[in-house]
Amino acid sequence: MRVVLAEDLYLLREGLKQLLTAHGFEIVAAVDNGPDLLRALLAERPDVAVVDVRLPPTQTDEGLQAALAARREVPGLPVLVLSQHVERLYARELLADGTGGVGYLLKDRVFNADQFVDAVRRVAVGGTAMDPDVIAKLFARVDDNVGRLTPREREVLELMAEGRSNAAIGQRLFLSESAVGKHTANIFGKLGLTASDDDNRRVLAVLAYLDGAR
Amino acid sequence: MTRGLHALAGGLLRGCLAIASAVLLVVHLVLFVPGLGLGLIVLLPWPMAMLRKVTDAVRQACGDIPRPYRDRPGPPEAEPDGRFRYDRVLYRSPFWPRQLAYLNWVLGDPATWRDVGWMLVNPAVGGVLGFGPAALVVGGLAVATGAGPWWIPVGLAMIVLGVLVAPAAVRAHDTWARRLLGPPQETFRSVKVWLGERLVTLTKLLALGGLTLVSVALAGLSVLALALFCVGIVGALPEFASVTRQFTAIRRRFAEQWSGVPIQTPYRPEPPLPQRRPDGLYEVGDHLYKSKGWTRFFQRLDWVWHDPATWRDLLWTVTDPIVGGALVAASAGAVAYGFVELMVPALVRLARLENPPPLAFLADRPVLALLAGLTMVVAGALFAPAALRLHGRWTAVLLAPTAKARLALRVEQLTVSRDDATSAQAAELRRIERDLHDGAQGRLVAVGLALGAVEALIDTDPAAARRLVADARESTVRALAELRDLVRGVRPPVLAERGLVEAIRALALDSPAPVTVSADLAGRAAEPIEAAVYFAVSEALVNTAKHAAASHVSIVFGYVDGVLRAEVADDGRGGADPALGSGLRGMRHRLAAFDGTVRLVSPVGGPTTVTLEVPCALSSPRTSTSSGKGSSNC
Repeated sequence: MRVVLAEDLYLLREGLKQLLTAHGFEIVAAVDNGPDLLRALLAERPDVAVVDVRLPPTQTDEGLQAALAARREVPGLPVLVLSQHVERLYARELLADGTGGVGYLLKDRVFNADQFVDAVRRVAVGGTAMDPDVIAKLFARVDDNVGRLTPREREVLELMAEGRSNAAIGQRLFLSESAVGKHTANIFGKLGLTASDDDNRRVLAVLAYLDGAR
Repeated sequence: MTRGLHALAGGLLRGCLAIASAVLLVVHLVLFVPGLGLGLIVLLPWPMAMLRKVTDAVRQACGDIPRPYRDRPGPPEAEPDGRFRYDRVLYRSPFWPRQLAYLNWVLGDPATWRDVGWMLVNPAVGGVLGFGPAALVVGGLAVATGAGPWWIPVGLAMIVLGVLVAPAAVRAHDTWARRLLGPPQETFRSVKVWLGERLVTLTKLLALGGLTLVSVALAGLSVLALALFCVGIVGALPEFASVTRQFTAIRRRFAEQWSGVPIQTPYRPEPPLPQRRPDGLYEVGDHLYKSKGWTRFFQRLDWVWHDPATWRDLLWTVTDPIVGGALVAASAGAVAYGFVELMVPALVRLARLENPPPLAFLADRPVLALLAGLTMVVAGALFAPAALRLHGRWTAVLLAPTAKARLALRVEQLTVSRDDATSAQAAELRRIERDLHDGAQGRLVAVGLALGAVEALIDTDPAAARRLVADARESTVRALAELRDLVRGVRPPVLAERGLVEAIRALALDSPAPVTVSADLAGRAAEPIEAAVYFAVSEALVNTAKHAAASHVSIVFGYVDGVLRAEVADDGRGGADPALGSGLRGMRHRLAAFDGTVRLVSPVGGPTTVTLEVPCALSSPRTSTSSGKGSSNC
């Protein structure tokens, strides 16, 4: 898989390069600023981009803006955004076009290499990877609305919102995939969302629900 | 003669119109009153249309009076779905919209009510003016022919009088009709407003004149205090000065509210008690004092004595009765005395008093006195607003701070806000240091220890080493989380990346109550100001969440006349007391460093509004942050 990497800290950039190469990714470009990132994204059309939010020259949200701009040019271009902090505001902007293929994670998540690589792969195939912190913030706001769910269903919903498949959720919660399927069907019923087989559509529906319910 | 006869005929016509209006009145009493009273509004258009028809006829007959009505609304237009709209209701048939539009048109027009007024009064006025001359002529004929030869001249006189009066009656009738049925004339109302304004202004001037008496008393007291001071009784001076200051404070307020001349308070702030010297004495000026009480006493004396504003106050209490008094005399006094001059000589003449009270000049020539009085009233009334303005300016001459005093006040204010700012900054740094020390630093030490242990164990006990590595990783995650929280408190990431408004939007998204954010800013304020406003707004949001039980919060940013303003309004239960809690004080201190202010309005029962204002310049927005904004409404 071809990856464009954007990170201005040398150590972290090299570390990510090593990590991704070790897991069979091919780094086609590793840049350290916003304009270079936008050029690389449009020229290389990678399978997935791993992007730091804050990049030179302005040290503001240059990376996020470049990623959004590239996705306007190439709809659905898979982008995984990394940041020292997660904001609902930014998550909403990433999800706004509803095409999927987005991820938004804290930088800390690279410590767990397997989960991080799993998230990169998920985004690359058009899925979603949302940081548990973002999900927790969404849940903090909509406690009343999801109050009707059983604790188990809530756990399933949280993992689902992060972008995980039924199989992955089953693994995490030590459940069979069919049991997870039953839970998700219940959740969709209780929240009044249309059920769907497509993991990505499902996640977007949940996120839209959580973000919109206020 | 022909003109007289013609006018007689016209009078008859006008008399008939008066009868018509009487009939109309009866019809209206039958249709209109039940129409309004019982809600049978369908009945209303009929009498209204009839009324307008009659008044139109009157207008035409009485010298082409122009029609005063508003234009009639067009027929209701169908919406795309075939229904008809009136106001905010959709109707299936055009009937109700048409009726309602008609009613609104008719009842909302002041000309309608003037028509109604005409209808109520015209049966009497129109009847007298219309039929009066004709009645004189007819009566005269009857007297001349029926009452005997002696009465013939009387009858003839009545006839001649009727004919002569007829044109004037017609003219009077038409003028009266034009007053009510023509377009409204502005003169009457503006005269009323003008008179009201003069009256208020004159009252204020009279009040100021009354206050000059207090000035006189205070001037006397001050002179007394100075005299006592000269003979060695120094204690009275500061007390009298403070009484004078209370009085001048009132006068400054009047100058601002009544005369539109804002005046700053010019006094130096009272100095704090000096530090005790090493030898245990207090130093005031060149003198040393042992006890606190005496120190305070002489300090006060020194403070009052050396403040130029004290002496300017004194000068003002002496001169205000002269200058202010002259202004009041020239306006309110002139009006009051004008009335006396206007009426007393005439009353004296009427009552045939032998010894008239010596109140007015020209007492023996009432007509001249009347004219003189009238002139004084008018001149005084005309001069009143200017007198009030001049009074304010005159007050400012002595009661406003001198340029030097203004600078001294400003220096004082800046010293206080700088002290606040530096101590707030020091406290902030202490907090950061403590957080780092207790948090991230400690965790990194733990990680280092764990890695050292791993180094020792990796060959002998790989399982334990692996556990230690997992612990170390966990520690780094914790440390990062703590650093993240710390950074949020120092310089929130979204504020750094996108500026104030987006940062507040991000904050609003995480707030428990729904928050709407709207902004009308043409650029960005300087970074420290943005940070100060951000933290103040976030403090206000926290307070709202904690205390207000609000179901909705709105935050509005605006920039007017060089002042950045943020308004945080909630619909909660209100009753927030600025004296309670440190939140508001913290906000004030934060913003005071930039000459910013915080205003809290929170009546019990709500709603609560916190308004932050900071004078500053806005730079043009940076292009990199203005593209690709998400939804603007949170």
